Amino acid sequence: MQANIMETQASPGGFGKKHIFIVLAVLALAALPWFSGEFVQHLAVLTCLNVLAINGLALISRSGQLSLGHAAFMAIGAYTAVLLGKAFALPFIPALLVAVLVTSLVAFALGWVILRLKGVYFVLVTFAFGELTRLVLLDFAAFTGGANGITGIPAIEVLGVSFATRTSFYALALVVAIASTWGMHRLFTRPLGHAIDSVAVNPALAEATGLSVHRLQIFCFVVGCAIAAVAGVLQSRYIGYISPESFNTSISVGLIIMLVIGGRNSSWGALVGAIVLTPLPELFRGAVQTQHIFYGAALILILRFMPGGLADLPRQLVARFKR
Amino acid sequence: MDWSILLAQATVNGMVVGLLYLLMAVGFTLVFGVMRIVNFAHGEFYMLGAFAAYFLTAQAELPFLLSLAVTFAGAVVLGVFLEWFILKPFRHDELNGMIATIGMAMILQNLALMFFGPDPLSMPTIVRGVTRLGNIVIPTSRLYVVGFALAVLVLLYVFLKHSRAGRALRAVVEDFEIASIQGIRSRIYYPLGFGLGVGLAAVAGSLMAPLFSVSPFVGSAPLLKAFIVVILGGLGSIPGAAVAGMALGLVESYSSLFLSTSTADMLIFILVIFMLVVRPRGILGQGEA
Repeated sequence: MQANIMETQASPGGFGKKHIFIVLAVLALAALPWFSGEFVQHLAVLTCLNVLAINGLALISRSGQLSLGHAAFMAIGAYTAVLLGKAFALPFIPALLVAVLVTSLVAFALGWVILRLKGVYFVLVTFAFGELTRLVLLDFAAFTGGANGITGIPAIEVLGVSFATRTSFYALALVVAIASTWGMHRLFTRPLGHAIDSVAVNPALAEATGLSVHRLQIFCFVVGCAIAAVAGVLQSRYIGYISPESFNTSISVGLIIMLVIGGRNSSWGALVGAIVLTPLPELFRGAVQTQHIFYGAALILILRFMPGGLADLPRQLVARFKR
Repeated sequence: MDWSILLAQATVNGMVVGLLYLLMAVGFTLVFGVMRIVNFAHGEFYMLGAFAAYFLTAQAELPFLLSLAVTFAGAVVLGVFLEWFILKPFRHDELNGMIATIGMAMILQNLALMFFGPDPLSMPTIVRGVTRLGNIVIPTSRLYVVGFALAVLVLLYVFLKHSRAGRALRAVVEDFEIASIQGIRSRIYYPLGFGLGVGLAAVAGSLMAPLFSVSPFVGSAPLLKAFIVVILGGLGSIPGAAVAGMALGLVESYSSLFLSTSTADMLIFILVIFMLVVRPRGILGQGEA
């Protein structure tokens, strides 16, 4: 255990040869979609958007709370941006900013109240909030289009640059995905990140050392939900269609599965989980059921034998070889 | 239409639905009380119970009561096996245990999809005809369902209150550590508690199969209701789940007289969030937390 701590502390500073290989491999993987067909590009865009959403979920999870209503905040962001964009003919950037602001305010108000709850109680209350959001979107059909959703959402255009094509949107999504992952990595190698980690590991001790558990958890919840809002807005602009079912509880559950399989306590967990699990359902189109059974089994096996997720695999292997 | 007749009709319907919620929620809260695991696979056992009832009565033509007993026994055995095989490492590990049951739910639902197909099946009712109580008209099959559900609950009550195993199980729910000090072997009661809990879900599924359709997706709605009921009643509180389950069924039924269903649902979710924040111990104040 002592050796592990030394290792994790040493690794961010030193940039050895193996890191260059990893970076090159990731770059090659990221460049691949530009030289492939539309289908691969589509999967790549979905993967990047998932990376973003899961990074938001990971931030909340690292403060010790698991949100089962993450998709609801994607929905709040997406619906705010789309409805305001329609009503006031807002350009993309202002609409995005307003959506993020509104989502953050909702997350702040909700988080202030519900972050007192711990463990499964927090999970259940976020689950209830997700269902409530879906019902509200369904019921206020005059504004939200109800179960039919909203179609014909225009593609993103910033300062005359259009992101209507798949290749251009992929560039945008890739930048966002890498930026969010890099941001997570930076955050969790800094004092604020360590404070967040300590809150998850031992809230009482963190409180005793002068950290405000409540404040840190609210910070993580609000930022995590704001990231979800960005992901929701981008997704709505890419697909061109939203409905309450685009953001239902099974989406939230899917995000949790990707996070857990990728790795909850690693800055790379969201990246790994999304890259591994997003393309799979599309590749196994013919056998959706076997696919889901595989998901469920993988989830249980990872929880049981690799609680750190796939992102933890290299470290585990290294530790085994050194022994 | 006379208001008193409407009210009486709503009461009967509310009781039928309330008993369904009650059976689901009591099993759910039993699992939580014993293992501290929120069982996301609970609805899938309801679904399996519904399929079992369909195949045993409609295909194998067993009497309904016998098929109910077979379903319950089968579900308990399956639950004991799954607890021992999958959930054993996650006992008292709230978050990981919960995520593991999400995986279990996916596996069970998709196995059902593979074997039974996605199309809803409809099952013949247990008995035909209606029963008249004064001015109130009730389909007799619903009365049967109410009768069977009440019988199951009485059996459960007697088991938990008066049998040795039932008392031991309640002791484990109450306080796991003190129960083990008293010599209660948790090795037995974890699988048993889980098996009994999901067995009740399967019985609920069997009872409701003749009233609603049967498909691999029927488990999600009862699971959602079980969540609501258990939160309102207090996680881990069996009497709380019973009272809240019945109350939710009746309230839903009455509110359908003057509110739209979606408005009622929204109000219930707001109530759930409110309860979790203000009084997580539930309406009877017997839950954990």
